[in-house]
Amino acid sequence: MKSKAAMIHGLNQEWSVEEIDIQAPKKNEVIVHWRAAGMCHSDEHLVTGDMVPPQEYWEFMGLKDFFPMIGGHEGAGVVVEVGPDVTDLAVGDHVSASFVPSCGRCRYCSTGRQNLCDLGSQTFIGGMITDGTHRHFQKNGEPVTLMAKLGTFSEYACVATNSLIKIDKDIPLEAAALVSCGVATGWGSATARAQTKPGDTVVVVGVGGIGMNAVQGAKMAGAKRIIAIDPVEFKREKAMEFGATHTFSSMAEALPAVMEMTWGQLADRVIMTPGVLHGEMMGEGMSLAGKGSTVVVTAISPMTSTTASINLFELAMWQKEVKGTIFGSLNPRADIPALLDMYRSGTLKLDELITKRYPLDQINEGYRAMRDGENIRGVIVNG
Amino acid sequence: MKTQAAILWEVGAPWSVEEIDLDPPGPGEVLVKLAASGMCHSDEHLVTGDLPFALPMIGGHEGAGVVMEVGVGVSWLVPGDHVVFGFIPSCGRCPSCSRGHQNLCDLGAKMGGGRQITDGTARHHARGQDLSLMCILGTFAHHTVVNEASCIKIDNDIPLDRACLTGCGVVTGWGSSVYAAEVAPGDTVAVAGVGGIGANALQGAKLAGAKRIIAIDPVEFKREKAMELGATHTASSMTEAVELIGQITWGQMANKVIMTMGVGSGELIGQAMALAGKRGRVVVTNLHPALESSVTMSGLDLTLYEKQLVGSLFGSGNPRADIPKLLNLYRDGLLDLDGLITRRYPLEGVNDGYQDMRDGKNIRGVLVYD
Repeated sequence: MKSKAAMIHGLNQEWSVEEIDIQAPKKNEVIVHWRAAGMCHSDEHLVTGDMVPPQEYWEFMGLKDFFPMIGGHEGAGVVVEVGPDVTDLAVGDHVSASFVPSCGRCRYCSTGRQNLCDLGSQTFIGGMITDGTHRHFQKNGEPVTLMAKLGTFSEYACVATNSLIKIDKDIPLEAAALVSCGVATGWGSATARAQTKPGDTVVVVGVGGIGMNAVQGAKMAGAKRIIAIDPVEFKREKAMEFGATHTFSSMAEALPAVMEMTWGQLADRVIMTPGVLHGEMMGEGMSLAGKGSTVVVTAISPMTSTTASINLFELAMWQKEVKGTIFGSLNPRADIPALLDMYRSGTLKLDELITKRYPLDQINEGYRAMRDGENIRGVIVNG
Repeated sequence: MKTQAAILWEVGAPWSVEEIDLDPPGPGEVLVKLAASGMCHSDEHLVTGDLPFALPMIGGHEGAGVVMEVGVGVSWLVPGDHVVFGFIPSCGRCPSCSRGHQNLCDLGAKMGGGRQITDGTARHHARGQDLSLMCILGTFAHHTVVNEASCIKIDNDIPLDRACLTGCGVVTGWGSSVYAAEVAPGDTVAVAGVGGIGANALQGAKLAGAKRIIAIDPVEFKREKAMELGATHTASSMTEAVELIGQITWGQMANKVIMTMGVGSGELIGQAMALAGKRGRVVVTNLHPALESSVTMSGLDLTLYEKQLVGSLFGSGNPRADIPKLLNLYRDGLLDLDGLITRRYPLEGVNDGYQDMRDGKNIRGVLVYD
């Protein structure tokens, strides 16, 4: 079948909406009509190269070419066709994307860490995770890869069932799309990973699509004070609606205030969720963390960067922790439905995260708005 | 095809080894030629009625073998693969599996009926009747057809008569200490009952760094074996143990108590709790009779000393992670599987095997097939 899809052909290029050809699904695959796709910064990280492996690694990774790639990994839609022998999904089912596939069998899936599933190692290389061959082709006949094997910036995509989570039909697909990445990543960073406890003081650095949900998560976990830090005024205002108790425009501005409000004890949890995390930002982030505190690194840093300004003496003497997290350390198959249930019962805000909706053709406008700080989350909507 | 299997026709009857008809594997199923099966007390619970599963049933749930044929849609196994069976199937997708509790997979709900997971029908037939399978496996047989979800592929170099033990007893016991009790270095641990499960609770407690491990069992042979498997002290009863533990811990009592007796008893819970000290944890791994619903213990003692009473299934482990993990420990010499097998029997010897188990002669008896 044919589909419109937004792809990039190389670093630092604009998204190009083109027609593609999709082959029939094979074993353990389905075709999904993506109805909503969140414009997450991670797709921007592809454009700028933060998340693109250096070219010298491509051959080692079995990649002829990293590009062109259809973007989008945050989305929800409806199954329109199923491959042979597919039993866990049927035509008409509503599904959420899962940017880390979950096989349910590897050591990580088997110990409750589906976000670390071994199939995740294949999300950058070409071809389907099922058998390595391609289903998506450009008009010139050349294959095109899909971001995270999902390609939600396409009206339709052929996706492995391991990358999809079936959801209830009463949940609006735009809300479901958000939970498939940003909401879970942010919410989990504050709850499952930072382990925020009632009465804690929590600092969230960067309140975009991820950080805003770290604010929600910290609130639900009973934090007493939630300090949201962001240079953009619109985002600081929004953060107060999501549960922040204080806002500052920079970590430097926040430090004396956090010192004062905690009588010198500083924060129990610091969640690092800026759009791009650079090593030198860690120093300021760590300075906000008090004794025995936990600093969670959620944001993406440039892939090849290996330096961070962390005072190791303080790390040891004050017994701080620095922990990385992917997908908020949650489990897609258990937690995407659990979060959607919280939305259903009104405890989790999702609608308020969507600042603006765009048709697929306006994807570049959507990303410009993200870069300029205008959106918490922009969503592409396909009828 | 035709094969031999041990069938329980009714509660209280002996196992009947007879010829059965075995259909080819359906979608999602595999045909396995079994190499060996441990004789776990849980199959005895079927015979006594403690575990009310649907009869007639082919017994056995602690098994290993080689895949002969795969049904349509099977994506993880090919003929020739060596597998250990997980006595609880794991789908990898339900909330329990997703959170790292494959031992509580929703597919476990189908175990009581003993019919195939895919469609609830039977592949095994005898005397004109459909047969159900213990834990949807039926390992007291030379061949069986099971769902892919019940199979854990293992490396080819591990002898299958040792590997089969990890399908139940070994992980159940080892995990009771390491995962459920969370034995920590320096702990004092009491293990009540040194059979196929308890023997592994001892090994787990030892590897987890327990300082003192007190093995409790009325059978002298088992107490002797316990000292080889990691116990530092032994006692022949709970009463004797409470005095012994009080003495060696200067009154602080045990940090962890693991209940791994042949049959659990609500009346003994109070005694188990008495072995535990402040903030001590008692892990109930052994099966109690299904109809038992009362437990004798002091609620005040529970509160004042902040003790815990927790249940554990399959050692609170995950078949797909822990069966390979423990087989690796065996390979590295950190887990004894060879020493657990007291006697081997052919399939026809299954009733002898269970008599020996009842008589306290075996840590683990294993059925070994040609």
